[in-house]
Amino acid sequence: MTTNPMHQFNIYRIGPEVNLGGIDISFTNASLFMMLSALTIMSLFFWGTRKKALVPTKIQLLAELSYTFISKMINETAGLKAKPYFPFIFTLFMFVLFCNMLGMLPYSFTVTSHIIVTFVLAASIFIGVTIIGFLKHGMGYLKLFVPSGVPLVLLPLIVIIEIISYLSRPVSLSVRLFANMMAGHTMLKVFGGFVVSLGIIGGWLPLSFTVALTGLEILIAFLQAYVFAILTCIYLNDALNLHR
Amino acid sequence: MKKINEFNIRLKIAQKKAKKRLLKNNKNNTSSLGAALKLSTEMVAAVFVGFTIGFILDSWFDTKPWLIIIFFFVGVIAGILNVFRTAKLMQK
Repeated sequence: MTTNPMHQFNIYRIGPEVNLGGIDISFTNASLFMMLSALTIMSLFFWGTRKKALVPTKIQLLAELSYTFISKMINETAGLKAKPYFPFIFTLFMFVLFCNMLGMLPYSFTVTSHIIVTFVLAASIFIGVTIIGFLKHGMGYLKLFVPSGVPLVLLPLIVIIEIISYLSRPVSLSVRLFANMMAGHTMLKVFGGFVVSLGIIGGWLPLSFTVALTGLEILIAFLQAYVFAILTCIYLNDALNLHR
Repeated sequence: MKKINEFNIRLKIAQKKAKKRLLKNNKNNTSSLGAALKLSTEMVAAVFVGFTIGFILDSWFDTKPWLIIIFFFVGVIAGILNVFRTAKLMQK
């Protein structure tokens, strides 16, 4: 058994090494857990929508609840215009949520505790939203960087500030999810290590901490998935409606 | 009979109060935690982006420390703006 709290974030290969043009694309534990979460989501919705009973079963209820939850969220934050993007935001939310939640199982691996995973998600959202903005408004989308009522002298500075603020969106989006997941899991492991090293006499206090932290971590796992989805909606709203 | 009625009314009032308190507490716990996490990363991200832009421009134009310093402070301003905007959005 290892006591290194960072050991849980190690990525290792499963199966043979696969090379494609100098890039290592072997199957790793990260890809395994991404696939697992995708499979869990698919089977949840497969079982949940199979019968379509008037009085729903538990699984059907879960599927319907998550649907209405996201649908409501999009309506409240981005309005009716964002309805065509529902599938993407729903998939995004479920994927992040299930990656976070599968990471809470013992001996599992948390995919979202790696910044490259969250950054790819955030960067694709950022690029997609920018393209949508330019498609909907043409060059008028650049008005986002020029707030109205600013004196001409200050304009260059304000535009630079606005551009930096715009570019910081994917960074803050990805760092938030990654930092929360990694910090939480490291903390859990550190307190778990205290339990072992303090033994049967002094180990009860860190053990109770670990139990409380596990609850908090599950809350954070949900909350971060929600924040990720709601911020995507807010950015989409900016692109669709062009005002803040 | 009268006593029971009186008790029922008192019970109802107490239940209402308890429900209100529960709602308030729930809202405070989750949303303030989310707010704290949101605001801090918002600030850090803008500073980081400003710094990176300064670094890249510096190596393009060979003006080693100056653009990093300027863009660092511009990033700080953008971060404050970000935090301000997020806070405004949250108050709605």
